[in-house]
Amino acid sequence: MSSQILAEVCQCVEGFGSAAKEGRWRTTLTIYRPVARDPSSTATSAPVPMPGDLPRDFLGLTLHDRPGAYFFILRHHRLILQADANVQSLMDKLQSYKARVVLHFEGFQYQLGDFMLRVGKCVQSHADTLRGIMMEVEYLPLSSIDKSRQIMEDFLDIWQDAVIKKSLPGQFINVELNFADYGLQDQYTPQHTALQYATCIVQLMATVRS
Amino acid sequence: MECVVQGIIETQHVEALEILLQGLCGVPKERIRVHELCLKSGPSLAVPSEIRLLCDLAQPTPSWTVRHVGGAMRGAGAEQISVLVRTMVESKVSNNALRFFYSLGYKLDHELLKIGFAFRFQRGAPITVTVTSANKMPKLHATDEAVPVTPGIQMVEITAPTAGDNYNEVGAAVSSFCEYLAPLLHLSKPGVSTGIVPTAAAAAASLLSNTGGANTPQLLYLFAMSCFQMTLLCEADAALYPLHEHDTELDDFLMLRLLRIMWSVLAY
Repeated sequence: MSSQILAEVCQCVEGFGSAAKEGRWRTTLTIYRPVARDPSSTATSAPVPMPGDLPRDFLGLTLHDRPGAYFFILRHHRLILQADANVQSLMDKLQSYKARVVLHFEGFQYQLGDFMLRVGKCVQSHADTLRGIMMEVEYLPLSSIDKSRQIMEDFLDIWQDAVIKKSLPGQFINVELNFADYGLQDQYTPQHTALQYATCIVQLMATVRS
Repeated sequence: MECVVQGIIETQHVEALEILLQGLCGVPKERIRVHELCLKSGPSLAVPSEIRLLCDLAQPTPSWTVRHVGGAMRGAGAEQISVLVRTMVESKVSNNALRFFYSLGYKLDHELLKIGFAFRFQRGAPITVTVTSANKMPKLHATDEAVPVTPGIQMVEITAPTAGDNYNEVGAAVSSFCEYLAPLLHLSKPGVSTGIVPTAAAAAASLLSNTGGANTPQLLYLFAMSCFQMTLLCEADAALYPLHEHDTELDDFLMLRLLRIMWSVLAY
């Protein structure tokens, strides 16, 4: 995992010939932890619920193309909440959950025919360590997930071939997500994108641990 | 942050208040039907906190907002102004907000259905006046079965957003507007109980009997006369102040100027 590999991935995209570089992008993901009461510190005799009932998989996201929105995800509860960007200020004032880790997905985006590609690195805020390399593929003409499934799979096959030919170490992993579990429909929305970033970071952390 | 004052008015005088507000604000009223759920942090969370989820039922598709009201500003600056300045943050949220906050460890403390109307306008600051009745539900979330908590009383609240450095100006704009409403109700900082104003009945009767489609200058003139009859000279004077800005007939304008001079003499 290095900046050199990221540069070579970008060269892969630019090697398609008709890819037009369109500038930078950034998505920010925050991992929240509860500010739980210490059960041993209570002075009352009444039983205090253990902090274990508070969610530990609480994520927040700002998407690159939705700066006015904020997305909260509770993975265990299969919940995604969309709010205005200032909901972060509201959460700060509640002091019930604190931001523990902030990760940035950032890089360059390319227009390639009907596709918009965003290639980038995952870095922790205020740190230079590269945590991962990711790519977001957007098919512009369609909003239906089912209708665009085949063309997306075909594109990914072409992309994997290009990466193999470049002899890059490692491979891109596409984790399928059941959006219906979160109550989302076939019509693609920013909430779908937010969920995919959440899944991406879970996959990244699982890979690092293994 | 926001500046806020509150007061109460008898339900029988709300129609008169609406007429007065319509004349003063010059904007159409907005209907309010909001299901308000007050959630408090559960025992597992270390820091007690409270939020309100507001579901706007007045729109064809209900929309949700989460609101957190923080502590009031303290100190000499806060003591000197007649409005409360407090932190307030609100955000639109998707309609699964209640389940979301339950999952974060929040519990429903109580819920209300607020029914009434609001006027939003600009007068030195963007000001919102809401007049609502609070209704409780006999069963969980049963908004169709809500009954008034205080059948004969409604709450009036005036709010205006403020940054940290302009609360004096915004507070002054709110206080100035409150003076127009003085014969009908008294508005003060939340928590400071003032009760029902004794001149409300007479002021309401005057408004209801004299308006019938009056325009803003006529309304202010009639309201000023009501104040004068109740020896509320400051309120009467304040009511006439903006009249010279309107396209008033010269005769009316001169009469009103004469009245102001007479009242100034009587006051001193």
